[in-house]
Amino acid sequence: MTKNMLAAMAVIFVLGNLCRFGLPWWTMAPFAAITVFLLPQRSGFIAFLSGFTAGALVWGLAAWLADNANDGILSAKIGELFQGVGSKGILGVTTLVGALLGATGALTGQMAFDMTRTPPKDYYGKRKRNGRF
Amino acid sequence: MRIIRFLFSLLLTSGLIWLLSVQHQLGGKPLPVIGQFLNPFTGFWRNAESSGGPELTDMNIPGLKGKVSVAFDDLLVPHIFAENMEDAVRVQGYITARFRLFQMDITARKASGRLSEVLGERTLQVDRNSRRKGLLFAAENDLKGWVKSPETMAVLQAYADGVNAWIDQLKPADYPIEFKLLNYSPEKWSILKSALVTESMAETLCSKFDDLEATNALAALGRDTFDYLYPEWNPKQMPIIPDTGQWVKKVRTGRRSLSPVYGAIEGKIPADEAATPGDYFVGSNNWAVSPVKTANGHALLSNDPHLNLTLPSIWYQVQLHSPLGNVYGVSLPGTPGVVIGFNEHIAWGVTNVGHDVSDLYRVKWTDSSRKSYLLDGAPRDVEFKVEEIGVKGKPAVRDTVRYTAWGPMPYDNIADHPLRDCALRWTAHDVPELSILQVFLGLNTGKSYDDYKKALVGFDTPAQNFVFASASGDIALQVQGHYPLRDKEQGRFIQDGSISANAWKGFVPWEEVPSMKNPSRGFVFSANQHSTPPSYPYYYLGGFEDFRSRRIYDRLDRLSGATPDSMKTIQLDNFSQRAADCLPAMLNLLDTRALTEEELRIVNELKGWNFRYDATLTAPPYYEVWSDSCYRMTWDEMDIMEKSGTEVLYPEIWRWIELMQTDTTCVFFDVLGTAPRETAKDIVNASFRKMIAYFNNHPERKTSWGVFKPLNVKHLALIDAFSRLNISVGGHTSAPNAINGTLGPSWRVIVELGEQVRAQGVYPGGQSGNPGSRYYDNMLDTWAKGEYYPLLFMKNADEQSDRIVKKVVCSSR
Repeated sequence: MTKNMLAAMAVIFVLGNLCRFGLPWWTMAPFAAITVFLLPQRSGFIAFLSGFTAGALVWGLAAWLADNANDGILSAKIGELFQGVGSKGILGVTTLVGALLGATGALTGQMAFDMTRTPPKDYYGKRKRNGRF
Repeated sequence: MRIIRFLFSLLLTSGLIWLLSVQHQLGGKPLPVIGQFLNPFTGFWRNAESSGGPELTDMNIPGLKGKVSVAFDDLLVPHIFAENMEDAVRVQGYITARFRLFQMDITARKASGRLSEVLGERTLQVDRNSRRKGLLFAAENDLKGWVKSPETMAVLQAYADGVNAWIDQLKPADYPIEFKLLNYSPEKWSILKSALVTESMAETLCSKFDDLEATNALAALGRDTFDYLYPEWNPKQMPIIPDTGQWVKKVRTGRRSLSPVYGAIEGKIPADEAATPGDYFVGSNNWAVSPVKTANGHALLSNDPHLNLTLPSIWYQVQLHSPLGNVYGVSLPGTPGVVIGFNEHIAWGVTNVGHDVSDLYRVKWTDSSRKSYLLDGAPRDVEFKVEEIGVKGKPAVRDTVRYTAWGPMPYDNIADHPLRDCALRWTAHDVPELSILQVFLGLNTGKSYDDYKKALVGFDTPAQNFVFASASGDIALQVQGHYPLRDKEQGRFIQDGSISANAWKGFVPWEEVPSMKNPSRGFVFSANQHSTPPSYPYYYLGGFEDFRSRRIYDRLDRLSGATPDSMKTIQLDNFSQRAADCLPAMLNLLDTRALTEEELRIVNELKGWNFRYDATLTAPPYYEVWSDSCYRMTWDEMDIMEKSGTEVLYPEIWRWIELMQTDTTCVFFDVLGTAPRETAKDIVNASFRKMIAYFNNHPERKTSWGVFKPLNVKHLALIDAFSRLNISVGGHTSAPNAINGTLGPSWRVIVELGEQVRAQGVYPGGQSGNPGSRYYDNMLDTWAKGEYYPLLFMKNADEQSDRIVKKVVCSSR
């Protein structure tokens, strides 16, 4: 894990938590995109992974804390509502949605970065793949 | 290449977001917007409140004139202490909205036919029915009467303002979970919506009629047989107000008997038509015991209103303290004040009055265009009321309802509806003389019997049996309502709407509604039975209870040295007078000679049954299936008429039992289409075989009563995950503990008056409407076990109690 990846994850985590203050739920994706655009990763896969992890942490942690304080009263009911996935299931689904929002956003940021930079050719005349100089 | 990769990832991201923001359908029901709903910051997780309970902080409520303090007890009951009545009610509105906003919103929406605006096409029929029945029309007319009292309007406005103060500060993240699930926003409250809530109660309690079914039964059977099968008075009946000679000098009305004008009216009522009167019976019990019969010389009052049990619960407990008085009880979310309650001086409770206050008048059209009708020979134009029903995601639907001098024509839109040409005359549509709220405020602040009597004047619809007890030892009961002055049998059958003389001749004067005070027998009671014996001077009809009342009478009559605990045993009594009458009659006719061992075992179990519908007993299911099929087999004639497309009245159960006891060769015991001429004996034995066959085919149904017929307390929006289903409890409609499938005692309360008023109560739910709160259904199990909570009746705001979990201050900043 590179420093850049840690940094991107930390920034996405902080920005993602801004949704606490009433920002729409989908803002996690553009936040992740901007973050990775400014803190580019070694590859699209790494970007995806950093967004995935940070997104999962933001939504998963917030949901887990709420669920914990609530003794699972509500998640059990919502889990039943959602095809009987149960308390843990709904927590998992929530985490996954947060993760996917972060991941696809981060990937888009990385791709945007790749597009804007034209890396110098190396000795063999091939462009470096991941846009790092 | 990179552009493509970028565009691909952008598409992936926006595709994901799109997928999560569209309202998808699952099995015809719309799913919530997933992204929004799952978002831990604003979605459903926000409604997962701390398991310790909701966060209670000081409240900023604009418009408060003084300081208000609120103590929440361990059941989350707010005890509101204000410097004036309006402030108390404003805070009541604010707090009720905080805990019950969805319930308030959906109740007002349903009554006004505006569900489809937010729920889409699937509720269109429900909306149509509410509009066609004129519930909004009724609520608008309420306001016309209410404005006559500026003081009560001020109280109603303060309540609405309090509700709106809560809504105004509410962020979407804090909406009740149902709004998030159904994806709509709460709407501002208004006095009209309070009126809609009371009309919704009126619809539940007094919109039933069977004019059509009776008309057809009379046409098919002829007068003599009709009178034989459907007598209006049950001789075993124990009326609410007995004849003590108080009516001797009164001039009797209803001497002129109206001969029915119509023959059979064919046609089936569509099954999906909620506007059709249901056959379920919502009832209630209340009584008061005078000091001579109680252990410590204080009057006792008891009430348990039976309604369709829901989550959130119908009732919301509250204590309101202002210079006008100090009252505790249950309120109806959406209306200010306390409906059933007590203060230091008096206590009161209600049960429904079964009088028929809705009649059908058949209109004579001038021509086939059905635009004008004849009244006393002269043509009159119908008034077309266009109802525009908003439908989410679809263009609004227009529905035109005809209004006549009699009232709206709820079924004029369905071509082959038997009531297509009938107008509905219903007291709930009338402009009231005064506000129903005025009545309750009068009771809330009352101090004596005289205050109670004074407060009740003007209470019109839905008519209620108001039971009363005071600290000074008085007990009373008044059958309060606005009752049409009828000729004999007027309203029993569909009436001719072309003659204005067929209208009601006014109403029973307020001072002559049946009532009694301090009877020598030492108690008053009601259980939805007949209000009076036939000697009462005013003719009335309706649906009346025949069994619970007799049992409660017996229990109260035998009572001495009564305590709150003895009141409880009556509320929780599972003894069915109906079974006690019916089963011996059936067993008497049963031929046991050729029965198998197992069949004999069942017979012996039934013979040994104590007629109690206890949850653990296995006899009640046998009796229930047997008597049910016996009743159906007896009235196969009615069943055949129904199947051939004519709605018809079934005889009452008490009359059927009486026939089994006294007229076993009655022609109706004959099964149509079979060669032998059956008697009651044959029917009893044949239905016994049917019962045996049923349990042979369903051996798993040989189980205890609580499992055989469990209780389902459903969420208001019928969301199963928010409901409590399959609760094993005892009880039966015909027993004082009238639990039946989805119906039951919605509030059990016992008040002991005296120098120190003491009360106990419980309802099957909780104070919070939030399914994510432990206060959502925390009282339900206590209720199911037949236990009660002592009610914390605080004297003043400074009173200390270890039951108080939080005290907060409300002010207008």
